[in-house]
Amino acid sequence: MTPKHPRDVTRRAFVETTAAATAALALPPQAPSIARGAPKTLRIALIGCGGRGTGAAKDCLTSSENVELVALGDLFPDHLTRCRENLATMATEDPTLKPKIKVNDSQCFTGFDAYRKVLETNADLVLLATPPAFRARHLAAAIDAGKHVFMEKPVAVDPQGVHAVLASAELATQKSLALVAGTQRRHDAGYRAAMERIHSGAIGDLVAAEVYWNQGGLWMKPREPAWSDVEWQIRNWLYFTWLSGDHIVEQHIHNIDVANWAFGAHPVKAIAVGGRQRRTDPAYGHIFDHFAVEFEYPNGARLRSMCRQQDGTASRVGERFVGTRGTSDGHSVIEGAASWSWDPQAPKVNPYVQEHADLVASIRAGRPLNEGRQVAESTLTAIMGREAAYTGQQVTWDELLNCPLDLVPTDVQFGPMPVPPVAMPGQTGLTRSWRSA
Amino acid sequence: MATKLTLALLFAAWAQSAAGQAAARLVPFRDSIAPTLVTFEMIPVPGGTVTLDSPTGPRVVVVAPFWIGKTEVTWDEYDVWVYRLDLAAAAPGGSDSADATARPSRPYGAPDRGFGHHGYPALAMTYAAARAYCAWLSAKTGRHYGLPTDAQWTRALELGLGTDTALSGDRRDALAWHAGNAANQPHAVASKRADALGLYDLLGNVAEWVTIPDGAPVVRGGSWADPVARVGPRTRAAPTSAWNETDPQFPKSRWWLADAPFVGFRIVLLTP
Repeated sequence: MTPKHPRDVTRRAFVETTAAATAALALPPQAPSIARGAPKTLRIALIGCGGRGTGAAKDCLTSSENVELVALGDLFPDHLTRCRENLATMATEDPTLKPKIKVNDSQCFTGFDAYRKVLETNADLVLLATPPAFRARHLAAAIDAGKHVFMEKPVAVDPQGVHAVLASAELATQKSLALVAGTQRRHDAGYRAAMERIHSGAIGDLVAAEVYWNQGGLWMKPREPAWSDVEWQIRNWLYFTWLSGDHIVEQHIHNIDVANWAFGAHPVKAIAVGGRQRRTDPAYGHIFDHFAVEFEYPNGARLRSMCRQQDGTASRVGERFVGTRGTSDGHSVIEGAASWSWDPQAPKVNPYVQEHADLVASIRAGRPLNEGRQVAESTLTAIMGREAAYTGQQVTWDELLNCPLDLVPTDVQFGPMPVPPVAMPGQTGLTRSWRSA
Repeated sequence: MATKLTLALLFAAWAQSAAGQAAARLVPFRDSIAPTLVTFEMIPVPGGTVTLDSPTGPRVVVVAPFWIGKTEVTWDEYDVWVYRLDLAAAAPGGSDSADATARPSRPYGAPDRGFGHHGYPALAMTYAAARAYCAWLSAKTGRHYGLPTDAQWTRALELGLGTDTALSGDRRDALAWHAGNAANQPHAVASKRADALGLYDLLGNVAEWVTIPDGAPVVRGGSWADPVARVGPRTRAAPTSAWNETDPQFPKSRWWLADAPFVGFRIVLLTP
């Protein structure tokens, strides 16, 4: 991860090769392992049993034959209870899933160490869907335990976490473990078709791009008297940078990841503005509610990024790429010398299911996908944008990778935890650490 | 069957006569959602009979006089409910205890898809959400708003289209946004021509939630996403799981449809 990027061309070729390999894997009827008969049962476990985690379990069970959900872990007993109720509903709504849900009481765990107990079960594949703060540690423990992994995005909230994820990704490769991330656009047929064309020059050389995630506000759980500071913050994890990374990292990473995919690289520096203008009540922690970032890629091309969570404001979620010979929205249209559009009548494939189909097929084919580096780089790109806005400085990739910024306490327990001040450009620095809080 | 039909026709004649006597009261009116400045218009529809398709053949249904929204419900109206703009000092985040009515969850994403907002039809809401909006609006205004029945919607359409039931291609283009003229998105309400009743966009733009006789929901009229042949008086579509396939949560949202940006609704009222 040097700023000069002599490997960018190679990496671009790698991205295309990987995409082609995955596309081939996405055709189960032709897969030799299936031709020989039913594949060996793959046992899955879920760590982080909220709505997205439960949805990810459903997506995984739906994606493939001979997969079984065997264990659950969550910090909160009430989350785990609700998840089990929802799994019962799921089995009723879709009888094909019923035989795939085999969770016994003895395989359900709660508390901060629930993930360790889940990793001690005989699960082959774990789905990591807790708030992002815990991802890097859970991933390291999962790879250490020899588990294949699906992990939700973002995969870290600070450079320390990104370093850890990169190390885990490397170790996963050495141990032939699969590692797929919840950046589902990478598994969306429209995006893949457009990216294939962009990478083969359909819009010429990429000179600029724009990415957006502008929407209204999200859910918030009013504080209950029994909750400690830490419990309140974790139950409202969106609104605390140490837990979510702020909304540019938590949500806008989807679009930033598409840009990195198109460029086949990550940006080398960023400048940004941002603030907390509308969502100012302390109930919403200390994160910003808008950012605008200019990222610069190694070839000098600039990516303009805008994200906002403000009720009643104009919405836009998407991407746009500008090349020397045309433009594209990255997933359905190319305008210019090589015009193209995605056939709206094409069969719809749910990318949230496809990412699991690709993951499971790669495990069974003995060619495990590993998206660890690409999602770690997209996570750090979003963090770079956030920090450029928080600090008011130009932030470079190398500077960020080597700074002491360290937001997640080593040992999180329920108890007091003050809310950090809202970042103040010109005053906030990259030296923030939970150790000095 | 024959007796039932005769009775229905007799009742219809009575209903039409009653409606005639009440004709003086059958005038358009404008309602508002206090304390905001958002208003909407309701258009009277005389009572009568309609013939609906049913599994056992055509069925004659008597429709009492009613009022129907001049346009599809817009985001301007729907936002008041979703974002609690009617509550002067709303608590942050607004738990449902802030008022007695359940309100939609905050969507992870933009339900309007960036198509346009002010003056555009609200869309991608579930049938349950559309019904809950009506319940909230009723409590808010003191008038009993609801979703149209299949028969009411049909009655409004038949009177609106008049005798030209063939609905030529040119007329469809003049009245309706469909896949052939909408450029892949819905448009501001009332930006096509009004029908004979003064209603806009019954056909096309967003398909509209109605309740069929067995109580199940369907959408009527076709939408901006449908080919012109599917934007017509007989088009009905029942909701399917594909309409919320890519909501990545489980349980999936009770309020929003991740994959149905072509669904909206309009409201009706029996007594102003």
